Amino acid sequence: MIFDANTALYIIEIVIGGLFVGVGVHFVPVGGAPAAMAQATGVGTGTVQLAAGSGLTGLLSAGMMMSVTDNILLVVASGAVGAMIMIDATMVVGNWSYIYGVGVPPASAKVDYDPITKNPQPPYVSQGTVGHGIPTVCYVSGTIGGLLGGAGGSLIYYALMNINHNPGLSGMFAIGIFVVNAVLASYNIQGTIEGFHDPKFKRVPRAFQACLVASLVIGIIAVLITGGA
Amino acid sequence: MDMVSMGLLAAMGALATVAGASEDIESDAGSQSNPNSQVQLAAQVGHPHRIYNKAISGEPPSNALYAAVAAVTASVLMSGFGMSAFFAIAIGAVVAAIFNGIYATTAYMGRNTSQARFNQYVYLDVLRTHTTTIMAHAYITVFCVVSISYIMTASWLPIQHPFPMPLVAFIWGLAIGAIGSSTGDIHYGAEREFQSYPFGAGLNAANSGDIVTKAEAGLRSSIDNAWFCAKFGGPITGMAFGLTVFLDNWRATIFDPATQGGLVVLTGIVIVILFNIYNRIMESRARKRYGPYPEYIGDIEA
Amino acid sequence: MSVAAGGGEAKLDKKKLMIYGIGGGIVGIYLAGILNMAMDTNYFSFLAGLGVIAVIVMGSEAVRMVCAYGIGTGVPSIGMMATGMGLVAAMFGLSIGGIAGPIIGLVVAVAFGYFIGAMANKIIKMNIPVMEESLTMLAAAGAITLIGLSVLVAGRIDYELIMGSVIDTGYIAVLFIAGSLAILHPFNANLGPDETQDRTLVHTISTGALAMIAGGIASIAIIGSAGILTILIAAVVWLWAFRWYFQLVKRDSAGVVGTGLLPKGEM
Repeated sequence: MIFDANTALYIIEIVIGGLFVGVGVHFVPVGGAPAAMAQATGVGTGTVQLAAGSGLTGLLSAGMMMSVTDNILLVVASGAVGAMIMIDATMVVGNWSYIYGVGVPPASAKVDYDPITKNPQPPYVSQGTVGHGIPTVCYVSGTIGGLLGGAGGSLIYYALMNINHNPGLSGMFAIGIFVVNAVLASYNIQGTIEGFHDPKFKRVPRAFQACLVASLVIGIIAVLITGGA
Repeated sequence: MDMVSMGLLAAMGALATVAGASEDIESDAGSQSNPNSQVQLAAQVGHPHRIYNKAISGEPPSNALYAAVAAVTASVLMSGFGMSAFFAIAIGAVVAAIFNGIYATTAYMGRNTSQARFNQYVYLDVLRTHTTTIMAHAYITVFCVVSISYIMTASWLPIQHPFPMPLVAFIWGLAIGAIGSSTGDIHYGAEREFQSYPFGAGLNAANSGDIVTKAEAGLRSSIDNAWFCAKFGGPITGMAFGLTVFLDNWRATIFDPATQGGLVVLTGIVIVILFNIYNRIMESRARKRYGPYPEYIGDIEA
Repeated sequence: MSVAAGGGEAKLDKKKLMIYGIGGGIVGIYLAGILNMAMDTNYFSFLAGLGVIAVIVMGSEAVRMVCAYGIGTGVPSIGMMATGMGLVAAMFGLSIGGIAGPIIGLVVAVAFGYFIGAMANKIIKMNIPVMEESLTMLAAAGAITLIGLSVLVAGRIDYELIMGSVIDTGYIAVLFIAGSLAILHPFNANLGPDETQDRTLVHTISTGALAMIAGGIASIAIIGSAGILTILIAAVVWLWAFRWYFQLVKRDSAGVVGTGLLPKGEM
């Protein structure tokens, strides 16, 4: 493998993809275990799990698109849209669960008024909880998270495919790089976040630095691997 | 768009719906994932119980494992022994169900043993009666997920995904686990575990761990929980996974990705916008119907 | 997740575990590769699997160490990260190293793990003293697990062969997730205030054997009846480890009862 301008370009694409994933995780509204008891706002699962579930669904769409075209925009957009559909379907059904199964209106406890709809939040928060359900601001934030996660995963896949032309290897590597960045980002938010209106969102720069360095190192290694026979 | 692709797409959507529903019931019968934190806490706050405690490392990785094991077994049987896809996938799902049973058994033993100081026993009859139920549901889930992956990759079918079948199954397994733990589990965690508290409120942090351990007669078992969650939590989880699989593939079926790639993406964006609008409508309706909590004593007007 | 993570003190020293784990893993892989090549057979592939079990035990101890600190997100993510880092390192080592591939993969993985652990502490400011050490161990465990299972499936330490039989067929997916769960499941399953090191690690042997069975199933398509031998040996190891684990459960628990109501003293 010779290091030329193209290789450098692929490394940059992998790094940007990693950054998308790392930043995207901060947008995904997850309440962790308490959210599953309607005790905290957000989706009731772990950050990495939901981000990986949506981002990799996007990777499937991107892989499909990459098999018929090599237009980078289409591949990345396809991945982003696939991830957004998955996370949106999940959040809508999650809200069914909160509204019809548990009987609580969606409400955030981190802000007094929803920044998008300007609806007041605290009167709708039940006693002894820190919010529940997925209000509009979290929903939109989650959609953005899906967009970034899916786009990031697809960009990594696109770069690797151009190097080794092996869908299995590239797909698996994209999963590996995705997971490393998503876990680093989730350490940064300590497990739970409501979305871009959450005070924890201010920690993004730290994750940005960490994911930048991590993706760069992994990217340099990954581009050296050939696709074999 | 041809009729065969449309039919396959419909089959995938249906399989995904069944898979989602059984995945949720499997995790409720075993008490997996986030609601299990309360089962875990129960013994610590003085409520030993006879509820299963299947802490298999989060639903997404565990379901990814079952799907991948089944897909690999099926792929080995098909490529190595020329077995027909239907039987190969069925046998693969059996192997995955055995893996599921082993992981479930050891997790139940491990978690309950690590709570010895709270007098939490390991009940062997719970293991005997529940593990088979859990395995049966896992079998259905895995069979459906691997069938979807087979439809997406088989060389004689119109949809040609470039990833090998086990990898596709792995990704769908991860996705179904993520969906199951984000949707149906809430019904189990917030409602069924805390049925003694009034409907219409989240769990007050002060009541954490105070799960219902008694049934109408005798002690509550996890099969009772599966019975309850099968009425709402399971089906909606199926809806979520069905919608994901169906909508994601629908846009690539009605338009040809090779020549109409832009339209494929555009359709997806329209779907996403509609989802956002629907969620907003649902939120306002819920707020209007339920109204603010009467106990609220702050300054902010509802 | 749980209120009280972590548990009893470590009876087995982690240095010893590291030597046995990494040493056992590398020796197993090379024995399998070289014996297979020298005898022109595939029946020694199971040795790679036994090496993998040794290294998975080490990885499980690393999960125990770091998760005792409460890392803010569940146990599963760190196991996924271990194999995620390990995958890139393993494939890099195999692709450029030839027969020295496993060693190069290990070295790269150790560097990755230390580096990402340092970043978690320095940039993200998690301030967990064992972060570097445990991520190093985890990345090494992930890489050797994936190399070992790949050799187990392909029968040789040969990149082209592994590409064809493990990656192109997609079997890597099951090796990835089975290895990852084998590392993270034992601690997660035994989490609680009365967790003991020996019970968790014995449980790890059984999950490692399960990963070996998964690899064995995949290998039937590649190396035929040698794969069945792998599965049989793994099944024996699993049975032995499971019975031992059950003994330890009986030893540690408040009571293993056939059936019964809740214990007395229930509030």
